[in-house]
Amino acid sequence: MGLMMTSRQDLRILMVLYVCIGICPVFLHGLPDVMNILILCLIWGVVAASWDLIMGFAGIFTFGQVAFYVIGAYTSAIVTRTFGISPWFGILLGGVLTGGIGVLVGLPCLRLKGSYVALVTFAVHMILEPFLRSEAGRAIGTGGPQGILSIPSLTLFGYTFNAMELVPWFYVVLSISFFCLLIIYFIIHSNWGLAFVALRDSETFARAIGINDFKYKLMVFGLSSFLTGLIGAVYAHYVGMLSTRLLGLDLFLILMVMLVLGGLGRFPGALIGAFIAVFLSEWLRPLETYRNVVFGALVVLLVIFVPQGITGFLFPDDRPGPLRRLGALLNRKTPDGPPSNH
Amino acid sequence: MGREFIEVLISGITNGSVYAVMAVGMALVYGVTKVFNFAYGSFYSMGGYLAWVVFGAKLGYPLVFVVVIPLLFLAGWLTEQLMIKPLRQRADWEMMAVMVTLGLALFLDNFYQAVFGPFVKSLPLLVEGDITAGGIVIAVQDITIFLVAFGIMIGFMLFLGKNTLGMAVRAVAQNMTGAQIVGVAKDRIFALTFAISAVLVGTAGILLAPKYFVSPFGGWVILVKAWVITAFGGMGSIKGSLYAAFILGIVEALVGWQLGFTWTMFAWFAVLLVTLIIRPQGVFGTWG
Amino acid sequence: MLEVDRIDACYGEFQVLKKVSLSVEEGEMKIVLGPNGHGKSTLLKTICGLIKPTAGAIRFKGRDITRLPSEKIVEMGVTYIAEDRELFPEMTVLENLKMGGYNRRARPRRARNLEYVFDLFPKLAGMKKRFASNLSGGEARMLAIARGLMSDAAFLAIDEPSLGLAPILRLEVLNKIKEIHRTGIGILLVESNIPQLVDIADRIYLMEEGELVFDGSRDEALNNPDIKEAFLGV
Repeated sequence: MGLMMTSRQDLRILMVLYVCIGICPVFLHGLPDVMNILILCLIWGVVAASWDLIMGFAGIFTFGQVAFYVIGAYTSAIVTRTFGISPWFGILLGGVLTGGIGVLVGLPCLRLKGSYVALVTFAVHMILEPFLRSEAGRAIGTGGPQGILSIPSLTLFGYTFNAMELVPWFYVVLSISFFCLLIIYFIIHSNWGLAFVALRDSETFARAIGINDFKYKLMVFGLSSFLTGLIGAVYAHYVGMLSTRLLGLDLFLILMVMLVLGGLGRFPGALIGAFIAVFLSEWLRPLETYRNVVFGALVVLLVIFVPQGITGFLFPDDRPGPLRRLGALLNRKTPDGPPSNH
Repeated sequence: MGREFIEVLISGITNGSVYAVMAVGMALVYGVTKVFNFAYGSFYSMGGYLAWVVFGAKLGYPLVFVVVIPLLFLAGWLTEQLMIKPLRQRADWEMMAVMVTLGLALFLDNFYQAVFGPFVKSLPLLVEGDITAGGIVIAVQDITIFLVAFGIMIGFMLFLGKNTLGMAVRAVAQNMTGAQIVGVAKDRIFALTFAISAVLVGTAGILLAPKYFVSPFGGWVILVKAWVITAFGGMGSIKGSLYAAFILGIVEALVGWQLGFTWTMFAWFAVLLVTLIIRPQGVFGTWG
Repeated sequence: MLEVDRIDACYGEFQVLKKVSLSVEEGEMKIVLGPNGHGKSTLLKTICGLIKPTAGAIRFKGRDITRLPSEKIVEMGVTYIAEDRELFPEMTVLENLKMGGYNRRARPRRARNLEYVFDLFPKLAGMKKRFASNLSGGEARMLAIARGLMSDAAFLAIDEPSLGLAPILRLEVLNKIKEIHRTGIGILLVESNIPQLVDIADRIYLMEEGELVFDGSRDEALNNPDIKEAFLGV
């Protein structure tokens, strides 16, 4: 796991990526399949980046990302269908509600050790499906086992986004996705980001220098799930229907591939990983059921042999040790103090 | 009503005995290696699938165990040596170990689905027939399962308590540095622990397969149940997991009987939540 | 018998040991003094294979043990007795001792070593069934030393055996070490309270900032005003 590269390098890479992706429709607007894939890449890139924020940077083992994605999607779908409010508002609500749930999930995890958090969040994922399919779920509008079959699409100044014209969708998703990644970028390079890394690398030391780990952990839970829920809602309105199949482990697996390909804790590795993973998935489609077998093997092999991911491979960083980084943090907080000796 | 109650109770105890085997395996791995094996559920299914293959070759039960158990042992051993061991030197080994075992789990589950298809497989009963006593019907299968599971538990406890290697396992769990000091080969013990846990959970898979079938993704429920049991009983405690397994097995049976299957899953999560909030170290506690 | 040849050792990023060299022959007892946190424990742990040096070599009975895994080193007869004792809390005193004799060379002699150990520490004989977590500080210290003896070692690295003990217990522990020394086992001892041991120490080292800044006989140590004041309590 790495520390962020210098701020400007990160931002530069991010901008370049988005510009490159942004001009794709110019050449590809005639290929709806490719356009669809690009849109999904942008959507899942946000999920992957949010996961990387909480796991790669803050070092919290959570496996609830897909659950939050689905919660955001269902929330917006239900709310826009039941109350007829604008999908834009629904998306925002989806994000906020999911963020709130993220904080709630984070609460019991505060005092738990690593693997326990993984299991609790995985348990949230596992319990979501029976809940959505149950009678109680149906009562609030989840559509039970059938799911939700028609979700209102976005409208802007009288224009209704539809599945025939993907270019407008593309640019909406591009903008929202960029906005989310930008938020993540700013968090990572702020004092909060340093606090996350400090907590990740040496919790006792971080606490000793006054970092309130409860506050930061809840914050990162909330933010990561907010963004994931938000983009999940976007997905719902884009695809127009939802079912609990999203909670099957396919999405989970491909997200893991994205993370490991991109390299944990290397911004914007997760986004790069997302594009590679999705295209890889398309390329491997002829393998049918064996495709996921390959993905599983890929995760294992990457973790063992290329833990720094493709990003780490292309941009190896010069890692100062954790205690020196904490010293840097300390110096930031007490500029008059003596430099830490060792 | 009373009769049904007793039958449900027996079902709960039978399941509880197999849960005990599973939970003890998990407590073992976590207590000794401090790694949580996310592929645990996939090893459960591995037991079921390997047994199914052996049956397909027209071989009977005793041979199933003879063939499958060494394979499970090998699978566990290799997993630790090839996938976990290389990660230990790294600073973030705990997270990497979780990622790698999760990746392995998804690899295995999808492999099962690709090779064996998405539909459930079932195994024949170990023993056919029922016993009727005082108006209560008990399947001989259930009794057999209970005895086999119980036997496994006894054997395992004896191993830990009396056998030198078993004591070495306990030593590593209780104090890794101390174990190094007295000359225990930690690496071998880690691999051995993984191997034993694979055998335990895989055997559980074989025992429960006739009743509950084998499916590609069925291992996840098992992972969660085993974990809830060990968390409830005390993550490091073998004895705790033992008691917890029976208690929760019975609770599950009762809840299922009165409220239906969906509610049993909620019940498991409720137990988990309550345990984590009220007494995170579990009812019992340390490594005995 | 034991030769440490210019070893460096690091803890994370910090270099703890810097070109440390020393040797211990059969039957010798050498003492390492020095302020806390300057590498004394690391030195002992590195010799016993718990930490691997980043440079230099360690030889035992002529064989290079620098890269050997710790279990092989224990088997060869080098045992570490930790400052933190590192006992097995959920095991009884007897089980802890049995585990002490785990290594393959010591296993056949387990019964005999148990007898010797109970002879040397009669109090332990009366506590066989007690759990290690139920022992007092002094009892735990004795158990740690006894467990170390069970490994049939030819060389013991003992880390601050009397630390934190009441004066009477301190005396008792150090006397036991004297007795052990008399049986011909080579000992490298880290201690801060050694008036009793000065007369039998073959050599005294002072370690500061990971380096041996003093290496001399006991007379030389006694004539060195800094050492006398800081460590010998004379």
